[in-house]
Amino acid sequence: MMFEHLRARRRLPLLAAGVLDGPARGATLAHVASCSSCRGELDELGAVLRLLASDLKPAEPPLSLSLLVARVGSRLDELDRGPGTVRPRPWVVASWAGAAAVVAAVAAVVFLLPGRPRGGNERPLVSEDTLQRLERNVAREQAARYLGEAQDVLVSVAAAPPPCDREKVDMGEASERSRKLLTRGALLVDPEGPAVASARPVLNDVEQALRQVAALESCVRARDVQRVREDLARRQLLMKIRLMKRELEG
Amino acid sequence: MERSAGDDRPLSDRDLMVRLAAGDREALPPLMERHYRRLYRIALAYLRNPDDALDAVQETFVKAFQNAVRWDRASEVGPWLSRIAVNHAIDRYRREKRRRQTLTPFDDEARELPSTDQPSPERTALGRELGVRIAAALRALPERQRAVFVLRHYEEHTLEEIAGVLGLSLGTVKSSLHRAIRRLRERLAGLSA
Repeated sequence: MMFEHLRARRRLPLLAAGVLDGPARGATLAHVASCSSCRGELDELGAVLRLLASDLKPAEPPLSLSLLVARVGSRLDELDRGPGTVRPRPWVVASWAGAAAVVAAVAAVVFLLPGRPRGGNERPLVSEDTLQRLERNVAREQAARYLGEAQDVLVSVAAAPPPCDREKVDMGEASERSRKLLTRGALLVDPEGPAVASARPVLNDVEQALRQVAALESCVRARDVQRVREDLARRQLLMKIRLMKRELEG
Repeated sequence: MERSAGDDRPLSDRDLMVRLAAGDREALPPLMERHYRRLYRIALAYLRNPDDALDAVQETFVKAFQNAVRWDRASEVGPWLSRIAVNHAIDRYRREKRRRQTLTPFDDEARELPSTDQPSPERTALGRELGVRIAAALRALPERQRAVFVLRHYEEHTLEEIAGVLGLSLGTVKSSLHRAIRRLRERLAGLSA
């Protein structure tokens, strides 16, 4: 009896992990059914495993495939050029700087395409078609990211901004973020580009809305913000941003 | 998706590996498309840091291209890639461990924060503490146990597949998994209530 208990006890971790099978599984389950101590231990093991499983969700890579392909291509080119080259690190995930680096990496791949002057035995990672697809994906990802950041700013305007004085609200942060976003957006998102043609109307509306917010003073009358808010609602801009962002992200 | 010439079927992993072995870099993107998410999850579970995990995935495909000629055509491509990713994660972890020995305790604690790259409003102080404890518990496992546990628990590989990926006997995989779970249970008991 004691031997059976010890054997079942030893098997509990594998039972909890779902890898115990055959007669061993049947015998262990039969023992657990009649042993409250083993049942408690099995429950505890299961709870620990569920805890470990929940901790890593979500585990989607924070970088799209096209950007990863560009990074691998860039790394292979670097290795082709031989030792002494500096390896870019760290990953700058979801940042404009990261996007700029990827554009540079894609540009490097363009430079290595057949038909372009190049030295040594460097080989292109991708064909022209693939490259165009990559560039298109990068452009769309940048536009989606821009819309995402604009959405954050405009949501903070549409919500209730904190008061800063009597009948005035604090728009300092939203206004500052809008100005920065307009500058960066102008550098990295080309609304005339074919990759984001379908997003052009929304991008234009977003730019106009950000300009309105950027023009606000840091402590502004609530009714001035209300006007911006009504404009957003009239144009249903937040909903359009959400839908377009989803489309751009594919 | 890459397709066979004169055929609508997408190329198999094996076809792509053959092309890689011949130095055809165009075979890399479709292979990456099929495996990068899975490899990322493995690396993240092992390294507990999104940047390091991405780096591990990148290096896995670089090594896959460089070593494609050595790939045994009789073996499955997925486990072969997993093995490269796990080995890279182990190497990286060892380097990081050496580097961390020179850091202050505060730096060390910061490295053990849970695997999120951006602060989330939902991430409460309690959740953060939990993440730190889980990371520490996984970190405390010997390398082989951790690799076996990660492949089983986060990727749901069978014991036979894990044995193939890590080059271990089935018995060793079983005992490593058994010990890993026991240790984790000891370190995390009470947190799971």
